[in-house]
Amino acid sequence: MLCFAFIASSILSARYLISGTTNSLNVGTARLGADIIAVPAQSVAAGEDVILTGQPTTFLFNDTPAPEIMRIAGVGEASAQIYVASLQASCCSYPVQLIGFNESQDFTISPWLKSELGRPLRQNEVVVGSEVVGAVGTPFAFFYGRQFTVGARLEPTGTGVDTSIFIRMQDVYAMAAESETKALQPLNLKPGQVSAVLVRVRTGFSSEGVAASIKAQIPDTEVITANGLVRKIAGQISLTTQLLYIAAASVILVSFPLIVLVSSMVINEQKREIGILRAMGGTKRFILKLFFAEAITLALIGGIIGVLASFILMYTFQNLIALDLQIPFLWPSIGQTLAEAGLALALVVGVGSLASLYPVVKNSRLEPYEAIRSGES
Amino acid sequence: MKYLLILGVVLVMLGILVAVTPWYIFPVCEMDGMYATTSAGKEMLMPCGYTARAETWVVAPMLILAGAILPLSKTKQYRSAIGIFGVVLGALVLLLPTYIMGMCANPQHPCVVGTLPALVLLGSATIAVSVVVLAKR
Repeated sequence: MLCFAFIASSILSARYLISGTTNSLNVGTARLGADIIAVPAQSVAAGEDVILTGQPTTFLFNDTPAPEIMRIAGVGEASAQIYVASLQASCCSYPVQLIGFNESQDFTISPWLKSELGRPLRQNEVVVGSEVVGAVGTPFAFFYGRQFTVGARLEPTGTGVDTSIFIRMQDVYAMAAESETKALQPLNLKPGQVSAVLVRVRTGFSSEGVAASIKAQIPDTEVITANGLVRKIAGQISLTTQLLYIAAASVILVSFPLIVLVSSMVINEQKREIGILRAMGGTKRFILKLFFAEAITLALIGGIIGVLASFILMYTFQNLIALDLQIPFLWPSIGQTLAEAGLALALVVGVGSLASLYPVVKNSRLEPYEAIRSGES
Repeated sequence: MKYLLILGVVLVMLGILVAVTPWYIFPVCEMDGMYATTSAGKEMLMPCGYTARAETWVVAPMLILAGAILPLSKTKQYRSAIGIFGVVLGALVLLLPTYIMGMCANPQHPCVVGTLPALVLLGSATIAVSVVVLAKR
């Protein structure tokens, strides 16, 4: 039973890891709404960290490349953003990622604000990620000497968006201008300077093609694409998921002969009962069904224990896993969770049935007299 | 009364886990050298530090004691009292880091991602075992 529990929990943990990161990337990239993010050539890793894990960072283009990007064929919309790491925030005494967005061009936060808040952000009002401390409508924190109020809170995405704070671009420039006199450390940001340009690709164009054009036509610019992020994350979790799959496969390989042996021993001990059942009119088919049902029940109980253990541990420690593996993670939907659990249980039941196939078939064919005699010896 | 011995041992083990988890298994922030710093530059314990001390020095010893005396209890009343005591201690293990004292505000601090869920699990397990004690008394 423990073997079945281990097989189910290993497989399910790997599946949850994959579906959790995929779900998070889908929700996170949908929240950003961009197919491509153009960043300074030397800041690709920092840009990916902002999106995936919310690791606070500051990087800037020397000037804004948004107008040039808009002229590239295939670019539908382009919206500039500023990424600035805060100094120690008084609300929570840890640095957070501030993201300045241009309200007139933005397609990341503004459409959501329009539907949720019903109005654009006011001066010194911010939108906070789901994990940022601070109640909506309350004075929030001082960033570079300027105080902000929480205007709205985003839904969880499992990505860096959850720990980020969105600020109107004009407030970021004003904050930078005042930081010389008000902040402990000035924010060196010239008016018009931006960190990244988010691009939506026009239908009929491929994001990879448009990304290549941006790289070729805008000097010192690199691009982050949604597909690239998925590949990066797949690479990051591949070792862990492979290890879990290998562990499950090893347990199946090692335990399979063991389960066959144990099933044989259990059935051998019940030969007398098989003989009596057969003598009382039980058909070979009935005996076969009876012992198969026993094997499947055992596999199912073990599988359920494994599924529950995996679910409890993965759900409880999901943030720790995401942080340790440096991946975005958002728990899959109930339907997907149940489907993955069902898949693991089906596999375990399959292994259990296969392992007990030979002893069950062999013993169900025994004649009553032969079964009772061999059962007594 | 073999089951009483088993349940007692489980409660003692849970008590030991509650005592060591915040320091060694899923350590709180101060074990990583993280402290709150005042404007005067003085380093102070964060909430997770106080929670860890309460779990280790107040709740865990009582849980270990409850587990140790369970196999020795002769009457149903004794065992009921230990069961109820276990449920209260389990609730304390669970509520200290979540509501009573809390953990750090930063969702990425080690106490929030590691210690908190581990203590919630241990608290839930303690309540479950104590309910079994009550049911089996």
